[in-house]
Formats: sequence, structure tokens, C-alpha cells
Amino acid sequence: MSSSAVITLESVSKRYGSTTIVRDLSFTVERGEIVGFLGPNGAGKTTTMRMIAGFTAATSGRVVVAGYDMATQNVEAARRIGYLPERPPLYDALDVSAYLRFVAKAKGVRRSTIPSELERVSAACHLEAVLRQEIYKLSKGYRQRLGLAQALLGDPDVLLLDEPTAGLDPGQIQETREVIRAFGRDHAVLFSTHILAEATLICGRVAIINHGRLLAIDSPAGLERALDRTNRVALQVTAPAPALRELLLSVEGVRDVEIQSAAGDDRRLTASCRVDSGRDVEAAIARAVAARWNLHRLERQQPTLENIFLQYVKETPARGAAA
Amino acid sequence: MSGALAVYGKELSTYFRSPIAYYVVSVFLLGTGYFFLYNIFLTGETTMAGTFQNMGLLLVTLVPVVSMRLLSAEYSAGTAELLLTLPLTPWQIVLGKYLGAITILLLITAGTLIDLVPLYLFGTPETTTILAGYLGFVLLGMASLAVGQLFSTVTHNQIVAALLTAAVLLGFWFVGHLQTFQASPAIRALFGYFSFALHFVDFIQGLVRSEAVVFYLVVSAIALTLSVGYLQWRR
Repeated sequence: MSSSAVITLESVSKRYGSTTIVRDLSFTVERGEIVGFLGPNGAGKTTTMRMIAGFTAATSGRVVVAGYDMATQNVEAARRIGYLPERPPLYDALDVSAYLRFVAKAKGVRRSTIPSELERVSAACHLEAVLRQEIYKLSKGYRQRLGLAQALLGDPDVLLLDEPTAGLDPGQIQETREVIRAFGRDHAVLFSTHILAEATLICGRVAIINHGRLLAIDSPAGLERALDRTNRVALQVTAPAPALRELLLSVEGVRDVEIQSAAGDDRRLTASCRVDSGRDVEAAIARAVAARWNLHRLERQQPTLENIFLQYVKETPARGAAA
Repeated sequence: MSGALAVYGKELSTYFRSPIAYYVVSVFLLGTGYFFLYNIFLTGETTMAGTFQNMGLLLVTLVPVVSMRLLSAEYSAGTAELLLTLPLTPWQIVLGKYLGAITILLLITAGTLIDLVPLYLFGTPETTTILAGYLGFVLLGMASLAVGQLFSTVTHNQIVAALLTAAVLLGFWFVGHLQTFQASPAIRALFGYFSFALHFVDFIQGLVRSEAVVFYLVVSAIALTLSVGYLQWRR
């Protein structure tokens, strides 16, 4: 365990009856770090967030937040955690400032500093215009930002945000990302999303989870480097298939080749080569192929986070296979 | 304590920004006013006994309306995820909410004091008997609310919480009537002991028996402890 880790998960599992939602999950989030939690719907993101926030307890394993074990010291730890659940937890009958005042008091913010705290978070989340409004009258964007504002109250060490930009318009998404980025400079932030671009934009590291299992955790660039399987060269050639395969495999840097013929013309082929990353393989392929046949098109496919994500998610065995 | 007070303050704001508190207070006071006039003109006696009896039953039927939302509304609105991840212990949450409900109880109790004005103007009622009746009423309300809060804690559906509470409270209210059908003195005593109504009758008659006081307080304490236990267990 790293000494500056603010969130630590050690072999955490969560089971409801015979269903395993999260299995053997381990990772850390450090101070000054923004970690994106990426996974398809139903991957176990929300359950993991809830375990870190102390809403549910892990069935096995250990969750430690700011030095507190969430199994036994969740109330102490709660002072250090700002949590925005997937559905903003708002009391519709209250007005915005009454709601924020309640959360501040419950978090133990000193009475004398409550007004300045309210001012700070409502400025950060652009809520000044609606402070006197009843919550049930707020638009979806305001509700989401009010949820974020309550999480920021009391200046917690850890911010847990479950899909914080869901339901926002592009301008609000931009503003919310700014809030997260600013907060993440000297705090620990874990936020879940299924928007890949978002993760690449603001996260230092990305954790990919599917069927409750952690598939990878690294910087977006690191993930791209690590997964050279998505590093491919695609080409269209008019050639006999066996000869093309033989030629492509003879080029240095090509690992394997898949060939498909176009419908109605079995000499017009589409080939996809898995190649070593960081080498100038496509030029070598182009030279070799063009010398013998008609090369129609050649494209180097760079690994994108999207490809990596899909690759990982596709490769996960179905739920229950390893239960 | 400050955590419980924060929950308490929030509870009061939500009660009075929704129609529930106004509904409960008006139905209760209208009902009590009607029973009071009826009893006074029927008997011609300046006593609250009959009215207290009716107030007790009215209370038991209205408690589910107050208590049903206590936690089940938090579950269904998703606010439980905030409430249960704030730095609050289960006891602070349960007590803050319970005190909010007790405040409504005290409010309706205070509202019935207006009935005493004509009583004292036109007659000479026994003050100690009336005080005992009010004490019994508040204790009955405390126990009923604690039971209602327990059912609201264990179910996510407000209607289910209200129905369960109504069934159990009416059961506790009428269990004393089953005494008539029992030959065994032990069972008769048991039914009598668990009857919310029979303990309340003692208070109405001006008897403050420690057994009755303890009964209501113990029922409240058990129900609140079970609510706290559930909140700890559900994690």
C-alpha cells in the first residue's frame, strides 16, 4: 500500500446472496490524483462507489479511506468523503440553501463558517441564482450541480462522483470538469463515467471494470501502450489470399494476419495485420504489397481508449464463469 | 448530539413544507373537537375521560401517516444514500427523525388544550386527572411513533410501512379486548399487558402507574433500537 494512498481497496468483493457484483477488486487512489472509473452499465461501478462511500459494506476484503477502515470506522471516515451518488440525493421539499445548510451541519461544519462554505460551493457549482428555490423546481442540470455542491461541502479529502456529468449540457459538462480538475489538484478524486473522452481528458489514471472485476488500471497513454493488440494495419488489395498472407507474414513486425474477401469478388481482399507498436511497419507492408499487386488502401489504426476499452470488455469472461 | 439536531431540523422543515403535518394536525384537531363536544353534551360532565379515549384511537390511526415517510421516503427518493454516508451514527439518524415526529405529536397535543378552556370556564375539572391523561397520551404517541418508525426503516415503500404500522398498532390497541375470550388467567394477563389501550385507560382515570409508564418507554426503546440495528445490519 502506498503511503499517500487516500483510497485503498484490498481484494474487495461484494455479494448479494449468490450473485457476485464485485469480485476481488484492488486499487488505490492517491492525493492529488483523479482516477476515472470506466465500465459498461452493470459492471459494478456504483456498488464499488457505495462501498468506498460507506453506504454498503464489502462482503470480503478491506476498504480504507483516509486511514479509516470502512467496515468499522465509516462514520469517522465520512467526514473526509464527499459523495455524489448516481442519482443526486436531494430533498425536493427543501430550498437549495436549506438543503446545503443541512448537509453542512450534518458534516460538522462549524456554524460560523457555514455561510462562507455555502458561498464557496454555490460559486463553484454556479448555483447562486437558485439558492432560494425549492429543489423540486430545479432543472436536471441544476439538480446534478447541487448534488456536486453538497459533496464539496466541508472540504473533504476524497471526492467520489458517480457519473457527475450525466444529464448536463455541453457547457455545464465543461464547468463540472473544471470543478473536478481544480479539486483533484490537492485531493483524491474517483469518478465513474462511461464517456471515454471524459476519462482521457481529466484523469491521471483510468480503471476499467467489467463484471465486477478490475481489468486494467493505468494512465490513458499507458493503457494505449500496453495494449498493442489494437495496433493494426488494415489494407485492401487485389491478390490471391494465400500468397498475400505469406507475403504479409514475411514482413518484419507483423505478428498475425486476418484476411477476408469482398462479396462477389474473391480476389479483392481486406487484410488486417496485428503489428508491433512504435515501428514503421506500415511503410514496409506498403512497399512489399505494391511491388506485386494492386494496393487500393492502407491504414494504420492507432489504439484509442475506445478500442482498448472494447477490447478489454470483450475479453472479460461472462459473469459467473469464475464465481 | 449536533448530528441528531441537524437531522431533526431537516425533518421539521420537510414536515412543514409538505402537506403531511398540516393534514395530520387538522384532521386530529377536527376529530378531537368533534369528540369533545359530543362527549360533553352527551354526559354533561366536565371531564376529558371520554375525549382522551377517542384521542387515543384517533392517534393510533394517524401515527402511520406521520411515521410512514420517516425512512422509506429516504430510500425511495435516493436520499438515504446521502443520509447514510454523512458522518452520522445510526442513533443520530434514528433519534433526529424520532424527535421530529415527537414534535408533531406535541404540537397536536398542545392543540387540544383549547378544549380545556370551556371545561375550566363552565365547570371544575380535576386538574391532576387531566394531566395524567395528557401524560398517557404523549407516552402512547411516543410508543406508537417508535413502532411506526421501525416499519418505515425496514421497508422501502411508504404505503407498506403505513399499512404494517396501522395493522400492528391497531393490534396492540385491541389486544386487550381478547381478554374476554380467554379462560387462562396467564393469557388474560399477557393480553392486558400488551394492550396499548388498557395502559392508557389507567392514565385517563388519573392513575400514573410506573408499570404503564415503563411499558410505553420500553416499547419505544425496543422499536428504536431495532431501527438502529436494521440500519447497521443493512450495510
